[in-house]
Amino acid sequence: MEIHETSTRAMEGTDNEALLIAVGNSQDRTAFSALFDRFASKIYAQGMKITRNDQLSKDLVQEAMLVIWQKAPLYDLDKGTAQAWIFTLVRNRCFDMLRKLKRQPDGICADDIFVESGSELSVNPEQQQMAEIQVEQIQQYYKKLPPAQQEVIEYVFMKDLTHQEAARNLDIPLGTLKSRLRLALTKLRENIGVEQ
Amino acid sequence: MNSRINHHPSTEQLKLFNEGLLSTGLSVAVSAHMDFCVECHETSNHMKSELADDWIKTIDAKKSMDADQFSHLIDEITSQDQSVPVDQIDGLLDEKIELHMHERSVKLPRVLSKAAGKGVVWKTLPGGINTANLGMDRETQCDFMYMKPGSQAPRHKHHGLEVTLVLDGTFCDELGEYYPGDFVLRRGSETHTPQSEEGCLCYSVLDSPLIFTSGFSRLLNPFQKYVFNKKAHQRV
Repeated sequence: MEIHETSTRAMEGTDNEALLIAVGNSQDRTAFSALFDRFASKIYAQGMKITRNDQLSKDLVQEAMLVIWQKAPLYDLDKGTAQAWIFTLVRNRCFDMLRKLKRQPDGICADDIFVESGSELSVNPEQQQMAEIQVEQIQQYYKKLPPAQQEVIEYVFMKDLTHQEAARNLDIPLGTLKSRLRLALTKLRENIGVEQ
Repeated sequence: MNSRINHHPSTEQLKLFNEGLLSTGLSVAVSAHMDFCVECHETSNHMKSELADDWIKTIDAKKSMDADQFSHLIDEITSQDQSVPVDQIDGLLDEKIELHMHERSVKLPRVLSKAAGKGVVWKTLPGGINTANLGMDRETQCDFMYMKPGSQAPRHKHHGLEVTLVLDGTFCDELGEYYPGDFVLRRGSETHTPQSEEGCLCYSVLDSPLIFTSGFSRLLNPFQKYVFNKKAHQRV
């Protein structure tokens, strides 16, 4: 316990973003402990506000902190402040917890409703023009991706196959296809962001 | 497209949405509206940042657990693999599906693609209207509503709230004309008669049964309450 307290004390001046990036980049347990210290009681309070149940609120702390640990590699500064990112995770877990309590059907969940990306918005003509300029940039960066990632982009976006069809054609599990696609898209977005 | 959207969720609805306090049915309507509307999407993101700031500043409750539990939990979590399970990736890669009606096929917003993923069953109502129920929650009745070209829904009102999100085509009523992305809110006692020249697909959310106010359609009223309750309670 003293070790935990001493090590998190050293992190006192560090901002939430730096802690979250340390957790995501290098599985930094001390940084995670510091985040835990800062957010656990707030998550608990949020749980009590919504469910008014001590045990459920503790479950929420556990579930939300686990998701923070697991998803930390996906966080970057483009996604806003660390607290907004954590707030979203907690809000989504709370929403799902309430749905479960009310025995609502499980066909849909918070992550389906509260989508982070605006990239799929319907486009107007000005946006269309911008998109055409960006396509040229994307093509350049696409060629620099590892062959396995180029392949999934080709099947899903150029040949317009469904994820299932693409996975079948490439003879890889659906999960592998999705994670390769995710990595490729993240890489492409990063590159385009840097260029702008 | 985007520039023709004239009807948006209220500031209060966007706030409740971001707090996770709207019903699932309405949350889906707001989320799908933001697939069409860049302005609401940006306002909503801004609002979320403000809510997060308030959250950090104002809530400072007692410790959730004692130090031993803390330490134990941290060890337990950090011993787990950090790779993100595929089903927890932000829905970014989910596919959009198309809904096929007699005259047209419509690509659905992502959240509605997910909701309709298991298929929908269409039923016919008076006036050339077809509906397909989507079980979202126990508080609202959520349906796809398809108006055939040249159709007119029976004149009706509601006790509660009706949100209609236009997904494709247009419709009009006594109060205006509505285009894809429009988030049309009708409150209790407002009577209206929606009609569509070119045909229209909408997502509709009701928090109480419709009351028909004209002609033979009034005969449906005793059944509306029954159907609403039945649909709301079937969803387990």
